[in-house]
Amino acid sequence: MSERRAAIAARVGERGGARRRALTWRRRRQLAGLLCVLPALVCTTVFFFVPLGLDVWMSLNQWPLLGDHEFIGLQNYAQAVHDSAFLSSVGVTVLYTVIITPALLVLAFVLALLTQGTDRASRFFRTLYFLPVPVGLASASYLFVWLVQPNVGPIGRVLQLTGAVHQPPVWLAATIPALLVVVGMVVWKVTGLQMILLMAGMQSIPEAMHEAATVDGAGWWRRFVFITLPLLRPTLALVLVFSVAGSLLAFDQFYIITAGGPSNSTLTAVYTIYRTSFVSFHLGYGAALSILTMLVLAAVSAVQLLLVSQSTEMS
Amino acid sequence: MLAAVLLAGACSGSGGGSSGTTTLTLWARDSEKTFIGQIVDQFNQSHKNIHVNVTIIPANDPFVQKLGTATANGSGPDVVSIDLVFVPYFAKTGALRDITSQAKGLSYLSGFDSAHMRLANYNGKMYALPFTAESSVVFYNKTLFQRAGLDPAKPPTTWAELEAAAVKIRGLGGNNYGYVWPGANGGASIFELAPFVWASGGEVVGGTPGQSVPMFNSPAVTDMLTFMHNMAQEGVIPPSASTDTTSNSLTAFQSGTVGMCPAGAFFIPQLQSSKTFDWGVFPIPGKTGGYSSFAGGDEIAVGSDTKSPDAAWTFVQWATDMTAQQTMAKLGVMPVRVDLAPTIYTPQNPAYSIFIQALQQGHTVDSTVENALINDNNGPWATMIHDAIFNGNIKATQDTAQTKAQAIVAAG
Repeated sequence: MSERRAAIAARVGERGGARRRALTWRRRRQLAGLLCVLPALVCTTVFFFVPLGLDVWMSLNQWPLLGDHEFIGLQNYAQAVHDSAFLSSVGVTVLYTVIITPALLVLAFVLALLTQGTDRASRFFRTLYFLPVPVGLASASYLFVWLVQPNVGPIGRVLQLTGAVHQPPVWLAATIPALLVVVGMVVWKVTGLQMILLMAGMQSIPEAMHEAATVDGAGWWRRFVFITLPLLRPTLALVLVFSVAGSLLAFDQFYIITAGGPSNSTLTAVYTIYRTSFVSFHLGYGAALSILTMLVLAAVSAVQLLLVSQSTEMS
Repeated sequence: MLAAVLLAGACSGSGGGSSGTTTLTLWARDSEKTFIGQIVDQFNQSHKNIHVNVTIIPANDPFVQKLGTATANGSGPDVVSIDLVFVPYFAKTGALRDITSQAKGLSYLSGFDSAHMRLANYNGKMYALPFTAESSVVFYNKTLFQRAGLDPAKPPTTWAELEAAAVKIRGLGGNNYGYVWPGANGGASIFELAPFVWASGGEVVGGTPGQSVPMFNSPAVTDMLTFMHNMAQEGVIPPSASTDTTSNSLTAFQSGTVGMCPAGAFFIPQLQSSKTFDWGVFPIPGKTGGYSSFAGGDEIAVGSDTKSPDAAWTFVQWATDMTAQQTMAKLGVMPVRVDLAPTIYTPQNPAYSIFIQALQQGHTVDSTVENALINDNNGPWATMIHDAIFNGNIKATQDTAQTKAQAIVAAG
């Protein structure tokens, strides 16, 4: 009897030991997971949450570049909502985003459709369209400054030689042409990237679905509308969110190409933040403007993602 | 960009070198790269205990931002050569060291140009010494003057004469234009257009450095804008000038197709390198006569972050004394010591005496918010100049600029 009890006790003990070992193993796994994400966590904290916290704190102060700062509560925010210069720069940014987003998306979509094949010509053109992508934004901007420069730029010269114009046009002297030069540069530079992303999405759609639809008698257009488009939604969402966020944060291309001109009509929101902080040296107010811009951007991205996820569920 | 600025700032600062040598950092703007290296070499050779390292920084916004951010984190340079218009701001914010007692001991203090001396002082204390001078005049293409039937020996002395000459040169047709300046550049427009106002008895910014009074909507400014707007309407200014924020205008003049172009003595070496036409200079005229100039250039100051103020002062003093000023004059840099100019500068080139003459009638803007008011290409002065001259509607444009300028002064 006692032997049996001892055997049972030993077995229970074994089980208990196993459980203890299992728990330790699970804990180890958790610890390993934590260690794996730790670098990312540290980076996000140091490079995002800490600066964000500092930015919020600065935005609640009158904070000159040199000299003491003073807590003023929400006064910077109150000033921002009545600041016509900032509001008009938001307007310019929205106008730019509204022009550039569909331009990029439609062109990239068409190019992706045209070059999604595996034949030599498709590969050649795909490479060709992608070539401007690795060019730096600043270099590309300077390239376009030269292209449209009236005295030495080739575009004006060509137009003059063909007799289309009497004098080379000064593109950057009026708002809409200046905006279109920036749009042209960004389309030239970014379309290739969106094309590749969309094409990757298209290629991930199983061929069998197209074949099945073809057997059922669906033509190219019906297959495009009922198979390609719905299955491409997650990729479209990604491209759209990236594109809109990038456009709302536009700065470099305007700084170099238009310098905010003519008459400050192409100053974007981020350009205004830059000028507030580093030309006028009002860091506190600049911080408040960046927080507001960030909130708008977060809201726009959230709405976009929500809309796309809803329509994905519906489909 | 901010990270790069901070990083660059962190790498500077003074430090004692090995074997008892004091190492100093000197920041200078890019327009000084033609001579600053030679000056520093000369100093280093003659001073065994002090070694100066020079850092060249792009002018205007980048310079002001970099000096501001570096000073904000305590890593500003030991010595800084700075565009004189930015001295009041950096003196006010404590980026520059008070050098009143040392400066008062200099025997040649009265020999400096008066505009530079005014900006070197803030609230009764001296924060800098005048270092280099620059004045604005009009360069004119004598060859084009001749072709247009104008007498190259008699350049314009009033606005009406200047406008008439510009119209005649435009009359040559083709790509020939009468007058050009960078129409979207605030700094160039104070240097090159404000003298028209000053020469006619007007003012652009009055008041004290700490409490500026913008006078953007004054009648004298209206007159200047109307004069320039008329020239733009007559087509004598090339359309590309309206978007020029850099030096395309100088390039246009250099190509020989533009009759007149205001600039400073810095332009002479560039012009001499391309001898395709005969050129001369004349002072920027007033409406009915007289002349004026922007009194520009740099001041040199001891940074408040320096750990070697005595060594820094030694360099500042040396840089403003005879040897350095003579070396600079030989390199074509206008000396800021007007007492030395007749012996070390003007004999080299007949044009130089006109620059010195113009400097003595020079004005400048003495304000702690000069950058935001004037030099900022998107600020009220630059925007007003561009909009009034190229778009018209002068009075309304002036009023808008005045309101914005007053808001900048109020915000500090």
